[in-house]
Amino acid sequence: MKVKVVTRILEANERLAEENKKRFKEAGLFVINLMGAPGAGKTTLLEKTIQKLKGKAKLGVIEGDIAGSDDAERINAAGVPVVQINTGGACHLDANMISGVLGELPLKDMNMLIIENVGNLVCPAEFKVGENIKAMVLSITEGHDKPLKYPLMFQESKALVLNKIDLVPYTNVDIEKIKKDALSLNPEIKIFEVSCSTGEGIDLWAEWLNGQRSK
Amino acid sequence: MHEVSIALSIMDIIVKKCREESCNKIDSVRLKIGKAAGVMPDALLFAFDNIKTDTIAKDAEMIIDIIPLGGTCNSCKRDFDTEEAYVLECPKCGSADFVINKGNEMEIIDMEVS
Repeated sequence: MKVKVVTRILEANERLAEENKKRFKEAGLFVINLMGAPGAGKTTLLEKTIQKLKGKAKLGVIEGDIAGSDDAERINAAGVPVVQINTGGACHLDANMISGVLGELPLKDMNMLIIENVGNLVCPAEFKVGENIKAMVLSITEGHDKPLKYPLMFQESKALVLNKIDLVPYTNVDIEKIKKDALSLNPEIKIFEVSCSTGEGIDLWAEWLNGQRSK
Repeated sequence: MHEVSIALSIMDIIVKKCREESCNKIDSVRLKIGKAAGVMPDALLFAFDNIKTDTIAKDAEMIIDIIPLGGTCNSCKRDFDTEEAYVLECPKCGSADFVINKGNEMEIIDMEVS
């Protein structure tokens, strides 16, 4: 017997993401889904962002990794509430994983939640977690071919943080190409050039991020 | 490899639907996957074949209809389809002003149950 199904495959995840979103809204939380490859500098950027936003925003963090709790320990040391999710192999966070740990964060005392997704340029862009915005970190040492090789993440992100620009003189990377390709995939994407080592550009990024909260 | 998560979602949906129809065996399931949906059909088939053992879908065949990426150009007003996974300009007139209206699908269309 033939049965019509006509169901979006990720519908269950999208439904849960909507529930998370409602919960975030009730708690007055602005939520960022921060994505990028392993080693792009997501956690370091987070540490720097936490320093810059001290006294301006009340932050909390969810750390997603396949295994280990190094990142959560680093964020904990930076002085904000953090919970670690170990996916045990899954290449991305999904809405269900997020709703499972929300009870462990003092949501009432926060107004901004940053979710650091699993290091991966592919899957995290596919699964909504209930965020207000997606942002991505790309280190210039990953090469200027990345936007055209991994288009979805660039299309989904509201901001692109180009990290490690202090290393430009030691590479043959073409930053203008990264910017041009990212903008042709997503004309609205906001691009920040930063160096987490020297601190360059972090101010602009942190201010922009904090400004998004009131939007 | 998010194809495993996707295969698990598909399994949840079709098993539930099969029970709703008071059936207890799934013989096949047909999907519509857009070229820009970020899903590798071969990886999805492989994942499905590996998770279906010990389920009521253990003999089920997964059929995937691939939907090309396509859109309508706001400049030349023509519709286009492409074999690429993303479009930077209208393949017919080169304009960057266009809307994508297909190629992101990820749906279960129907299934055979008994």
